[in-house]
Amino acid sequence: MLAARGPSVPSEAPAAVRTLLPVSKQPVIRAVDLLVGYGGEPVCAPVSFTLPPGKALALVGANGSGKSTVLRAVLGLLEPVGGRVEVLGRAVDEREVGFRTRVSSVLDDDAYFPALTVAEHLYLTARGHGVQGADAVVGELLDEFGLTEHAGALPVALSSGQRRRLLLAAGLVRPRSLLVLDEPEQRLDVAMRDHLAQRLVEEKRAGGSVLLATHDPELLRVVADRAVLVADDQSRLLSTADAVEALRPGVL
Amino acid sequence: MSEFAATEDDAPAAPAGAGWDDVPAPAVAPADGRTPVPSARSIRRYTAQVARRRSGAGIGEVLGDVYYAVVISAIGLGVALGLAGQLRSTLPHVPDEALRSGISLPTVVAVAAFVVAGVVLSLSARLGPVGAGGAEATWWLGMPVDRRGLLRPASLRLPIASGVIGGVVLALLDGGLLADHGVGHVLRLGGTAALVCAGLALLAGHLQSRGVPRRATALAGDAVIGVAPVLALAAALAGWRVAALPDVPWWLLVVLAVAVAAAWWWLDNRLGRIRGRDLRESGSVATQAAGALVSLDSRELGRALSDSAARPRRRRVRRMRLVRGPVSAVVVADVTVLLRSPRHLVQLVVSALVPVVVVITPQLAGVVGVILAVLVSGYVGMLATGEGARRAEMAPIVDRLLPMSATAVRRARLIVPGAAMLLWSAVAFAAVGRWEGEVGAWLLLGVVSAPVWAGAALRAAYRPSPNWEGPLVATPMGALPGGVAAVLSRGPDVAVLGMVPVVLSVALGTVLPQVVVVQAAVSAIALAVGSSTSTKTMMERMTDMQETAEAEKKRAGR
Repeated sequence: MLAARGPSVPSEAPAAVRTLLPVSKQPVIRAVDLLVGYGGEPVCAPVSFTLPPGKALALVGANGSGKSTVLRAVLGLLEPVGGRVEVLGRAVDEREVGFRTRVSSVLDDDAYFPALTVAEHLYLTARGHGVQGADAVVGELLDEFGLTEHAGALPVALSSGQRRRLLLAAGLVRPRSLLVLDEPEQRLDVAMRDHLAQRLVEEKRAGGSVLLATHDPELLRVVADRAVLVADDQSRLLSTADAVEALRPGVL
Repeated sequence: MSEFAATEDDAPAAPAGAGWDDVPAPAVAPADGRTPVPSARSIRRYTAQVARRRSGAGIGEVLGDVYYAVVISAIGLGVALGLAGQLRSTLPHVPDEALRSGISLPTVVAVAAFVVAGVVLSLSARLGPVGAGGAEATWWLGMPVDRRGLLRPASLRLPIASGVIGGVVLALLDGGLLADHGVGHVLRLGGTAALVCAGLALLAGHLQSRGVPRRATALAGDAVIGVAPVLALAAALAGWRVAALPDVPWWLLVVLAVAVAAAWWWLDNRLGRIRGRDLRESGSVATQAAGALVSLDSRELGRALSDSAARPRRRRVRRMRLVRGPVSAVVVADVTVLLRSPRHLVQLVVSALVPVVVVITPQLAGVVGVILAVLVSGYVGMLATGEGARRAEMAPIVDRLLPMSATAVRRARLIVPGAAMLLWSAVAFAAVGRWEGEVGAWLLLGVVSAPVWAGAALRAAYRPSPNWEGPLVATPMGALPGGVAAVLSRGPDVAVLGMVPVVLSVALGTVLPQVVVVQAAVSAIALAVGSSTSTKTMMERMTDMQETAEAEKKRAGR
C-alpha cells in the first residue's frame, strides 16, 4: 500500500499533485549510446542522457528526426537497436508491474473506448491505479482541463483538442515517478498550452520527472531543465536557451 | 560534467530479473492515499459492462443475436452439406481398376486437411495470436495489473475459431464428400481436426510469448500450404495412396483434448510475458481485419493479412534499372509488390496445382470437378496477382507521379496479372489437356483465356467501396444490402462470364476452333472492362442514360 509518507503538498501546487516521497537521488532515466530505429535500422544518431528526479528533459529535433522513437524505446514499446536505457535503475521492461506503476505516458494514441464517456475513461485509469478518492481527483482534473461540461460525452463527440486534453488528464490522474509526453502541445490552444506548462512545472516541484518531445519553444523554455537535440549526424545535450534557439525557423 | 550527461562509466542497471520492491514508490500522485489495485478481470468486465449498458443491449437482444447466429450457422452448415453431397453425386463413377492409378479421394481430403492446418497457423500468426489494439492498448496495457486477466479472452478467440472452422471443414469433407463412414467416424474426425487446429493456434500464441516474430510463424504456415499440393503430386508419382481416412479412437480424442487444455493453461501463464509492442501490433491487425470483415471489404482484409507479416525492412534496395518509362515503372512496381509478398506467391503456385491434383484424382476428374477446379483455383490465383493494383487503388502514389492517364495506368496494370495468369494457365490447362488427351489445343485455349483473369483482377482491385445505401435484398442468410452485392460482384462477374467458352469446352470435351475465336473476343472485352475507369454498374449507367434522354426530351419540348 502506498501511503502518503512524504512531505505535504506545497501550498502553490494544484490539488491534483501530491508529493508522496522525498526526492530520491537515483536517476530516473539513464540512456547510454541509445540507438533507436525500426527493423534494426537506426533512425538517428545514438543519444546519451540522464534524467535526475524532479527535473524535465526535452527532446527536440526536426520532424522525423527520431524523438518519438526515442520515447518509445524509453517506454519499452520499441527494442533499441543498440546501447542501453534504464528507468529507475532497472533495464526497461514494460511487462513489469513495477515499471507500469511508476511510468505514465501520453503518446499520440488517438484511441478510446467508444462506449465510455470522458469521465469514465478517467475513472477507469484512476481506479485501475488504486487512486484513493477517485471521484474528487477526476472531478478536479476534468475542471482543470476544461472537460467538466463534456464529462458525460462519448469520445466521438469531442473535438481533437478535447480528446488530447483527455489523454493528458489520464496521464496525470494516476501515480507516477516519470511522465513521458510526446509533443503534448499538439492540438491545444494557447491558454491550455500555458496551463500545461505550469502543470509540468508543478510536477517537477512535487518530485516527478518529465521527459517530453516538443516543438513548442515556450513549453521548452518554461518546463525543460535541459534538452537533447535528436539528429541524424550527432545527437547532443543542449541548454534550454540553446534548444529554444534551435527551434527557431530555419535552424533545424 | 552536467547532471544530465550519461557515460559508459555510470553504474550499470540492476541485473535482469531484479524486482521492483527496492525501487522507491511513485513520487507523485493525484491523491494522498491509495486503495488496492483492482483485478485485471474487474477492469475488463467494467469496460464491457459499460459498453453493453450504453448500447442498450438487454438480455432479449443478446438472446436474439444468439438465436440469429445459431439459425444462420445451421443454414450455412446445411447449405454446405448439401453442396458437398451434390458434388459427391456428380463425381464420376470410377471402376476399381482406374482407382489404382492417380490419387484417391481420401488422399485429397488428407491433403486438404494439411492445407487447413497451414491456413490456421498462418492466419493465427497474422491476426494475433494474442493482441490488444486501439483503446485496449491505450487504456489497459498501462495498468499495474496482471495482464493475463486482460488478455485471457483475446488468447481464447483464435484457438476457438480455429477449432470450430477446422472441425467443420473436416467433418464436411468426411461426411459430405467421402460419405463412406458413419456419423461417429465423422464426429471423431471433426473433433480431432478441431482439437489439432485449436492446438496450432495455441502453438502460435506460445511462439509469440517467446518473442518469435509473427512473420516467421506466418511463413511456416504458408510453407505448409505450399507443400500440400506438392505432397499430393509426389504421392501420385510414388503410387502412395490413402485408401480411407483413419478412424480416430475416442481415447485419442480425450488425450488430444487434455493436451490442448494443457497448452492453453501454459499459454495463459505466459500471457504476461508478451511484450506490449507485440500486443499492440497484433491488436492493430486484428482490429483492421475485423473492420474489413464487418464492412465486407476484402481488399482491406488482404492488406491487413499481408502487412502483418511483412518484412520490416529490406536488405537490398532495388535500383529499378528495368524502368524505361511510365508503363515499365508501373509494371516493375507491380512485379516488386508481388515478389515481396510470399503469401501471394504461395497462393499462385498452390492454385495452379489444384487442377493438376483434380485431374489425377479419378474420383474428381469429371466435368463438374474440372470446371470447378479451373474456376475456383483460377479466381484464387487471380486474386494473388492483383496485389499491386489493390495497393495502388488504396494509395496511388506511383500512379500520380507518372505522366499517364488513369486508363493508361490501368492498362499497364493489366500486364503483371496477365503474365502471371499466363503461367498459371500453362500449368492448369496443360493438366486439363492431358486429361482430355489433347494438350496443344487446351494450352492454346488457356493462353487465349488468360487476359480474362487479368481483366477480372483489375476490375476487382479498382471496385468502389461497398454501397450500403441501396435497398435490402432478402436472402436465406438474412437481409443483405443490394448495393454491397453489386460492388462485391465486380471482378467475379468478369471471371465467370469470361470463362464461359472454357466451361463450354470442358463440357464438350474438346476445344473447337470457333470456341477459341469466341474466347479471344471475350478476352478482349474483359481487358476493356478491366481497364475501364467507370465505377458505375450496368444498371446505374442505364438509369443515367434514361435520365439524360428524358432531360433532352424536356429541353426539346420547351
